[in-house]
Amino acid sequence: MSKVRTGAVALVTAAALAALAACGNSEPEAGKPAASDGPRVLKLWHYESADGAMGKAWAEAIKQFEASHPGVRVQFEEKAFEQIRQSAGMILNSDEAPDVMEYNKGNATAGLLSQQGLLTDLTPEVAKRGWDKLLSPSLQTTAKYDDRGIMGAGKWFGIPNYAEYVMVYYNKDLFTKHKVEVPKTFDEFTAAMDTFVEAGVTPLAVGGAEYPAQQIFYQLALSKAQRPWVDSFQLYKGKVDFRGPEFTYAAETMADWVKKGYIAKDSAAIKAEDMGVSFMGGKYPIVVTGSWWYGRFASEIKDFEWGSFLWPGNTMSAGSSGNIWVVPENAKNKDLAYDFIDITMKKEIQNLLGNSGGVPVAADPAAITDPKSKELIENFTKLSSGDGLAFYPDWPAPGYYDVLVAGVQNLINGSRTPAQVLDEIAAPYEENLADIGG
Amino acid sequence: MIRKYSVLISLAVLAVVMLVPFAVVTLNAVRSPEDYSANGPLSLPDGLHFDGIVEFWNRVDFGGKLWNSLLISGSVAVLAVVLSVLNAYALGVGRVRGRVWIMVVFLVANTLPQEALVYPLYYLAKEAGLYDTRLSMIIIFTVIQSAFGTYLLASVLGRFPHEILEAAAIDGAGKWRALWRIVVPVSRPTLSVLLIFFFIWTWNEFFLPLIFLISNENQTVPVALGVLQGDKMMDATMSSASALLGVLPAVVFFLIFQRTLTRGVTVGAIK
Repeated sequence: MSKVRTGAVALVTAAALAALAACGNSEPEAGKPAASDGPRVLKLWHYESADGAMGKAWAEAIKQFEASHPGVRVQFEEKAFEQIRQSAGMILNSDEAPDVMEYNKGNATAGLLSQQGLLTDLTPEVAKRGWDKLLSPSLQTTAKYDDRGIMGAGKWFGIPNYAEYVMVYYNKDLFTKHKVEVPKTFDEFTAAMDTFVEAGVTPLAVGGAEYPAQQIFYQLALSKAQRPWVDSFQLYKGKVDFRGPEFTYAAETMADWVKKGYIAKDSAAIKAEDMGVSFMGGKYPIVVTGSWWYGRFASEIKDFEWGSFLWPGNTMSAGSSGNIWVVPENAKNKDLAYDFIDITMKKEIQNLLGNSGGVPVAADPAAITDPKSKELIENFTKLSSGDGLAFYPDWPAPGYYDVLVAGVQNLINGSRTPAQVLDEIAAPYEENLADIGG
Repeated sequence: MIRKYSVLISLAVLAVVMLVPFAVVTLNAVRSPEDYSANGPLSLPDGLHFDGIVEFWNRVDFGGKLWNSLLISGSVAVLAVVLSVLNAYALGVGRVRGRVWIMVVFLVANTLPQEALVYPLYYLAKEAGLYDTRLSMIIIFTVIQSAFGTYLLASVLGRFPHEILEAAAIDGAGKWRALWRIVVPVSRPTLSVLLIFFFIWTWNEFFLPLIFLISNENQTVPVALGVLQGDKMMDATMSSASALLGVLPAVVFFLIFQRTLTRGVTVGAIK
């Protein structure tokens, strides 16, 4: 027995010694990729899964980049989203910064880093390469940040490759079974849900514990809103009255939907993942969520036919550009980074992104061959050409996501009246507004 | 008799409760994503599907991550035990002046959340040129773990029978010799338990490695598992596969050292 123990200790000690040796060896090779004599290296990071639309399109972009830049190697690393979220500021402030990386758009992420001077101002490149001509105005919103790090105006700090928006997914088989037509107006939409309730089926799969419920709430508010209201709420261009018609309607309708049985009372505790899985399992006819579910629905729903349509009656919908490419200020090969971004904006890559189930920003509509993707992209074009991307309700203030989750949960549980909930979600918003001096 | 059975039954229930999460993870690790979406996480899979495991292994180069984790945890375990013994010998046996306060400092260091340490450590590591190296993790965790080890060992050694040490001193053993020939062998069971705990604790560390090990080639197993958690999406079957892979080494390690562990614990109990 003593032998076993000694052996084990020896093993661990050996590992320890090897560790020290290995650490010593690996240091020189790390952090010095851009030596002048060796081949140049483009250090590229993103956190999309390899078999998703972006993963596929960007893999192709890497291939094309290497083909058009002989002597340059792309050193791609797939990062954990959590890692970038936690430590982007620290990484970008060090020598380990990549040359180009995917980063979350928004005031709290890209905005903050741009304000700290960690991101390169892309404005000259945008003008030179014409990227601004490929992106519609509401897509540009999340690419530009002002001196305070607030999106919407100022310098370009990022380039989005794809977009996302919230839509209504429906189970065609269940619609046919209950003789429900695809609704074109809001009244038809509620009538359709009435039919399901009468048949004993809860129509909406809702994840109240995460983002889905607040997006439904926001869709309802948008049905009564105009663009200036969105600009006030999201870009602080004016005052937002939380007791005004938009939010009042949203809160009351949401509470009403729970009463009518469109939304199950227990959905306040459901996570987004479980919501998606219950729809994919054919338990609910309708789910309202974003295009980020599209690829997964397409590859994993085998037992029934499904489709999607825009929220009936709305000209605006929750949605925005996707994550953006940023070039860190400490990047060593900025010229290569610009070239790479340019390739990802090319028609070929954009079309591939579209045909793989993503929403491209600059694709050729005729080149999208997959019928489901066509539906997805046509709906997006309808939205974006009418300037209909209204961003997400949790964007305006830091930590606002949790405020909204709690508020909407109270609506679903019926533990607060709509008016109380509106006051609850108004307070943190006003506080933040006072902080930024808006 | 009834008491005997009731103990047996409650133990069995406890064992089942402990094993259910592992069973669910295993179940989903060998399930295809389509099956997961159609039938949910709790049904029996409709066939064995190892693609998730294989794909995850290749995607994150799991072998490399295992080696990194082993390297860091192994070095930390050994170095932290050595450091703890040296500190504790001075504090517990040597009775340094002001040792109570030194112990208090160690205790406070133990209660500090890692989030509070991140920025100072980040700047130190950057200044020292150790940012994004495994060595930085080994140094940091050696210190963190030995803070606890010192605290624990110092109180154990504080009760070390002085007669033995005096006898050794009379026989001509210096302080150094007394440490390695007398104190260490006598407290060996405690040290082995510490070693194993340090190894497992360091193995499971997530937050600091996430911040410090930037390059994929330096990352540890828990950080690699994080790759699967996306912004809005998660891949349940592949997460299960990765969780299974992530937990296996710790289980194997535990099985190998299980006897040392229980012996060390019982030795402590008799004292």
